[in-house]
Amino acid sequence: MRKVDDREQMTEERSSKMKRIILVLCIIVVMAGISWAKVDLVTLPSRDTVQLTIYNSADITLVRESRALTLKDGENKLQFSWANTLIDPTSLEMLPKASADKIDVADLTYPPRVRNLGLWNIKSGVSGKVPVEITYLTSGLTWRAFYMGTLTEDEKTMRLQGYVRVTNNSGEDYENAQTRLIVGKVHILDEIAELARRQYPYGRPGEIMPAAGVPVRGLGRAKREMEKLAYALEEAPGAPKEVKKEGLSEYFLYTIEGTETIATGWSKRLLSFDVDEVPVVNLYKYEEERYGPGVVRFLSFKNDKEHNLGDTPIPGGMLKVYRGIGDTGHLSYTGQSSFKYIPVNEDVELNLGPVANVVVEPKLMDYKTENYRFDHRGNISGWDEMYTFKIEVRNTRELGVKVEIQRNFNTQYWKLEKSGNFDGYEKVDLDTAKFTLNLEPRSNKEFEYVLTTYHGVRQEDWGRASQ
Amino acid sequence: MNSRRIKLMIVILLLLCSTISQARIKLVALPERAATVIRLDNPTATLIEEERVLTLQKGLNKVDFSWKGVSIDADSIRLRPLDHPDKVTLLSVSYPPNEAALVWDISSDSDYAETVRISYLLSNIDRLITYKAIADKAETAVDLKSFLVLRNFSGEDFDKARVLLDYGEAFEQGIDHEETKRMLFLKAPSVPITKVWKFDAAMLPWDPEKLENRNVGIPVSYRIVNEAKSSLGEFALWGGKTRLFQDDGHGSTIFLGEDVTDLVPVGEKTELYIGDSRDIVVTQRKMADNRVNLRKNNKGDVILYDTDEIITAKIENFKDGPAVLTVIEHIPGQWDMEECTLDNKALKLGVDYKKKNANILEFEIELPARTDKGPAVKELKMHYHCRNVRP
Repeated sequence: MRKVDDREQMTEERSSKMKRIILVLCIIVVMAGISWAKVDLVTLPSRDTVQLTIYNSADITLVRESRALTLKDGENKLQFSWANTLIDPTSLEMLPKASADKIDVADLTYPPRVRNLGLWNIKSGVSGKVPVEITYLTSGLTWRAFYMGTLTEDEKTMRLQGYVRVTNNSGEDYENAQTRLIVGKVHILDEIAELARRQYPYGRPGEIMPAAGVPVRGLGRAKREMEKLAYALEEAPGAPKEVKKEGLSEYFLYTIEGTETIATGWSKRLLSFDVDEVPVVNLYKYEEERYGPGVVRFLSFKNDKEHNLGDTPIPGGMLKVYRGIGDTGHLSYTGQSSFKYIPVNEDVELNLGPVANVVVEPKLMDYKTENYRFDHRGNISGWDEMYTFKIEVRNTRELGVKVEIQRNFNTQYWKLEKSGNFDGYEKVDLDTAKFTLNLEPRSNKEFEYVLTTYHGVRQEDWGRASQ
Repeated sequence: MNSRRIKLMIVILLLLCSTISQARIKLVALPERAATVIRLDNPTATLIEEERVLTLQKGLNKVDFSWKGVSIDADSIRLRPLDHPDKVTLLSVSYPPNEAALVWDISSDSDYAETVRISYLLSNIDRLITYKAIADKAETAVDLKSFLVLRNFSGEDFDKARVLLDYGEAFEQGIDHEETKRMLFLKAPSVPITKVWKFDAAMLPWDPEKLENRNVGIPVSYRIVNEAKSSLGEFALWGGKTRLFQDDGHGSTIFLGEDVTDLVPVGEKTELYIGDSRDIVVTQRKMADNRVNLRKNNKGDVILYDTDEIITAKIENFKDGPAVLTVIEHIPGQWDMEECTLDNKALKLGVDYKKKNANILEFEIELPARTDKGPAVKELKMHYHCRNVRP
């Protein structure tokens, strides 16, 4: 074993950092019984191409590299080491891309008492250069989506720019990598980072796996986060590359045009899409139980063709919304909202937080009880409660707004009589009603409703009464 | 390494002094291990069978077998003479104090170079099974590969051994202490799969609108049947971790997800959960829940009643392809269905939906792809009564 290690060090011409995935091809002269003793180092093939498929729902990246190996006819041993990276060793796989029927990747051995090293035993029926593909899963590469929305001054349309930010904390520099991003929620059993830290790739028999051995990256990571921030500030998006999007299974695959070089510790921001004139609705919601006494502003649009969107789902992320002011390109910051994944054709409602310029005031104007029922002892066994509410809605903005008011009644035995100036009312579920109003700029509306709730034995009469 | 090895020695007990019987002088031949078999057919224990040639002398022979640093179950050790089973007899087995060792007293009627088979249960050596499946782009079939992972932490090196599983051919493999080896042992191309989306009303939130900024993912699984039609079905598939990938149509793959499967006997199916679909949205709401048919005691208190309940589930498919969604609904207690509809068309129990047990209903709802106008929408409505409920 030591012989191999010595040679490995000698041949690390490309990097003195040790933070690299190292591939050493050894041709073995088979001697009876001694499979290790005579190991001759032949080549150190470098990566020809590398492809990264990075996930955002979990810390996982699929790496696919192609390398050209020079194989000898007979038994070959190929050593692959990954010290200081975050590779899951159980995910390593190698496939010959030519003469596949003549090359048998017999097994992958994780030798004893050596960490971060795997040895492929390859039986080759050919001699010469063979392209192979090596795939594995790593952690430390992440991406996230974020958005910038710029409303027109009249707030009728919005320019929506989507960005992705890819961060490499994997310990490995990936140069000229084809970078692909997966939007979707994959099911993962084990954290890749945890698998990467294991002393033995598959653990030991009977072991319950916390196995560490290597210190968890605590402070180091914090430092790297700082560095990442510094780079991000320096960095400005260059000429935007196209991001190709396509659906696969339940996920979406974003392929960034060309290749990217993202050194470890760095992150990169790329423009994912830029759409102008997305029609938006200024939606205001009032629901005391959910949002408290204030009105919450929502920006609403739909991920469809009518809104100049709808080609692909929009991955969840944070949206910062600005509003254009005047003709000189000045901006005013409106607010921010994180939003969830939005499928094609689904409505988007972005919560921009509470506002004071649209007001909803429900007032209890009258309360009475009636229709008392008594049991044979003379005690009260049923009654009705009648609440008269006046709801006043004021739009102090110079823009037209849509207001949704949701009322919860805490009982399913209710009846509503309405009067006044509003556009619609809908039963949401058994104890919730929703009123929808459209208000002109700087206008008020008010309406009244009488809510009757049935209690005790009066609930038995509710069916008839509510007809 | 030498301190952690199984050793076998033929001991000549020099009877220099007849009173000192515990003077265990280890001498003479140290027979090498010949054919060794590692049997991994029982997932709970690994049986090792090894053959060695003992040079026996006529009369009583003492054979010392020791396993310092190696986790052998001492009670499981067996010895069987192979060449002269009638003439070579194991008389007794004794265990020296504070030593991982035993001494066999073997009687032989002549001088033999006797091949014996020693078998024992060895701990900390086992095998795992892992799977890798690559689905085609249309998700109709997977290329399934299964890997055998041998893990040896037993303390013993095996230079060359025949490894036996509970099926398939034995193969030759050496494995050292603390070594792990992974090898391909099953390749099944084009195994048909059924893609399953499942909404279980007891497991998932009903109203996504109430979950501020969180998607409700509908779990998606691939169903695989272990049968000949699936180019499988020869033996039970051992449980193990399965990683699923998909051909992306550009000569590469994407990782779909991973799951762990239990043992799948021949003819049985397994479902591998790959991830969640966020393009199918189920919004389930209770629209009515009233007490009806009240029965009262003499005091006028309700002692028994029925309910009148309505549940609606709006199912939206935002995908650009069709899907079949399995919807699981739970109705506790005694109940009867007054009306069950899908888009206002009546559904019949046993025909359009199944009763899995007294309280669980299963619907298979076919969802067409979305159109330019919007998602494909279906509405499932259950109007039912729970009977004879006590307050």
